[in-house]
Amino acid sequence: MPIKEFKPLPAQPAPVSTTGPIAWLKNNLFSSPFNIVATLLILSGLFLILPGLIDWLFISANWTGTTQDACVDDGACWVFIRAWSQQIFYGSYPSGELWRVNLCLFLLAVVIYLSFILPINLRNKVAIPAFLALPFVCLLFLDGRYLGLEYVNTDYWGGFSLNILLAAASIIIAFPFGFLWALGRRSNLPFAQSVSVICIEFFRGTPVLALFFMGSVMLPLFFPEGVTVDKLLRVWIILILFMSAYMAEVFRSGFQAIPNGQYEAADSIGLGYWQKTFFIIFPQVIKVSMPNILATFIMVFKNTVFLLVIAVPEILQVILGALTNSKWLGGHATEGFLFVALVFWACCYSMSMLSTSIEKKLDTSHKH
Amino acid sequence: MKKLSSIIAGGLAIGLTISAQAGTLEDVKKRGTLSCGVSTGLAGFSQKDEKGVWSGLDVDVCRSVAAAVLGDASKVQYKPLTAKERFTALQSGEIDILSRNTTWTHTRDTSLGLNFAGVIYYDGTGFMVSKKLGVKSATELDGANACIQAGTSTELAIADYFRENKMNYKAVTFDTSDQTRTGFESGRCDFLVSDQSQLYALRIGLKDPSAAVVLPEVISKEPLGPVVRQNDDVWFNIVKWVVNASIEGEFQNVTSANAKDLRKNGNPGQKRLLGSEGDLGEKLGLSADWAYQAITQVGNYSESFERNVGQDSPLKISRGLNAQWNKGGILYSPAMR
Repeated sequence: MPIKEFKPLPAQPAPVSTTGPIAWLKNNLFSSPFNIVATLLILSGLFLILPGLIDWLFISANWTGTTQDACVDDGACWVFIRAWSQQIFYGSYPSGELWRVNLCLFLLAVVIYLSFILPINLRNKVAIPAFLALPFVCLLFLDGRYLGLEYVNTDYWGGFSLNILLAAASIIIAFPFGFLWALGRRSNLPFAQSVSVICIEFFRGTPVLALFFMGSVMLPLFFPEGVTVDKLLRVWIILILFMSAYMAEVFRSGFQAIPNGQYEAADSIGLGYWQKTFFIIFPQVIKVSMPNILATFIMVFKNTVFLLVIAVPEILQVILGALTNSKWLGGHATEGFLFVALVFWACCYSMSMLSTSIEKKLDTSHKH
Repeated sequence: MKKLSSIIAGGLAIGLTISAQAGTLEDVKKRGTLSCGVSTGLAGFSQKDEKGVWSGLDVDVCRSVAAAVLGDASKVQYKPLTAKERFTALQSGEIDILSRNTTWTHTRDTSLGLNFAGVIYYDGTGFMVSKKLGVKSATELDGANACIQAGTSTELAIADYFRENKMNYKAVTFDTSDQTRTGFESGRCDFLVSDQSQLYALRIGLKDPSAAVVLPEVISKEPLGPVVRQNDDVWFNIVKWVVNASIEGEFQNVTSANAKDLRKNGNPGQKRLLGSEGDLGEKLGLSADWAYQAITQVGNYSESFERNVGQDSPLKISRGLNAQWNKGGILYSPAMR
């Protein structure tokens, strides 16, 4: 009897009930009576809201014009955003000098990009000093006095570019501070430890709003008469201290994630404290802490909006000011706030995309 | 590394200003600009436009002072301040003059180390009612619902007023003035209470502004004026008399258009004001044409009022208390001689 040869049947397409859009709908939206009811309710809700919303946002919205009188239709008055766009993005910075703000934003992008593409041996030597110098270079450019450019007082800086630059400048300077505080907190030296703990716990335990108020209302009274420190500089220092405390805790969790073997290995080949910290521990801490560092950055970026409580003309303050202009009193608050929300969402979402890609790149699968 | 630290040092030096502790007048002249504290935005009083240019009744005080002291009304550095920051900013010397719809009260004048240099707008708590109601006076509002912004001095003023007149009302409170308007518009209350200058701004924001009227009654005193530091009488006098000059300018019929002509051909009073006779400027430590510069560049009180909050502005506030004393108001400048 010949041995029966095993012949597999040709592969068949998956049953209709498990693939394709209908199956997807069935599995995800109509899988149980409860889900069916929920789906129908949500859909009917959307049908009620969406047409009106789309009509208000796009169809009967007003897009062209330069004054409030151009808003004749019932929909959103996007003319408001258009007319105020320069204020919203650059504040009152002189129109002819806007290249300086753009240059700073460009430099920021370049430095971030550099830290990705530079070969690994140059990365620390070039990217880190570039990062640390960036806030001060930008300060010199935006101010202009010491570079022979037209002097622009900090009262004229503002808009969304201020939110971006202030957040970036704060976190960059907070980086070394936070690292030192984290080291201090883990140190065996009583002085370094207690100073670090006090700093971290004070600035982490105080609401950032309270710190802003202190900086703007109380601090000026402590300076000797005739000495005034620029408001924006005060705010910057507060943001740096506040962020340093958070970064210190981020780094501390990074330190704790490094296995003890790494410290012992570094000790056994005879590295000193700073060598051990910078060549063995620091790179690993950065890698482990990356998601938290970016999350902290997104937090400080959004926190810059709080500056409106002390009248720093950041994006939301510009919108609020615009709403009180007697030529724009028609109630455009919804458009303004919606626009600010959209701008922030776009920025924060792209930053979290970036952070995901960085995490993938840094992942060397040393999962413990 | 050296380069890096010098960049850092340069960067930090930018923020620090050490001004010599001479009088404010010398400081302003040396700096070449006047540092003026304004609000972050109040329709008609201090507001920024799309190009970042400040305007308003409060702003015009600063422009007038800059014109009188520096000869150029545009040499003003505006510092937007919140209500909480305003007095600190003045006390610490960050600003030379505070012109931020600040009510002149006994407590503020006596306990803060500050001086009020005059009144540029007599404000007060007022009422806005819907036209449909047919109410002509606040005394007809017995038993009505009131839209009020919570936590303001308005709450106190209206409670006092209704108790005094033996009437009842029901308060509907909101957090922001924007919400009080929405509440008024949706009919949750019969009338809206707020400072009168605010009522006009809120009224424009209504879908149909002509459907609401602001009643003539004002039930509390809110005189708004510029503030300077105490113990600097030279500067105090300058601000006080620049404010007076703009009021006197209207009284003497001196406008930005005819000042040049009146300086040569005016009557003695006009000539003294404009500096072609007498030495009023010199006594303030200013040049003889101090008031002339202020009036030609900024205008007299009436011009400033109508342009910012009056009939030439969207707010259309009538002069009311803020008319000259001989025209039914209480504006009165001491004698210019």
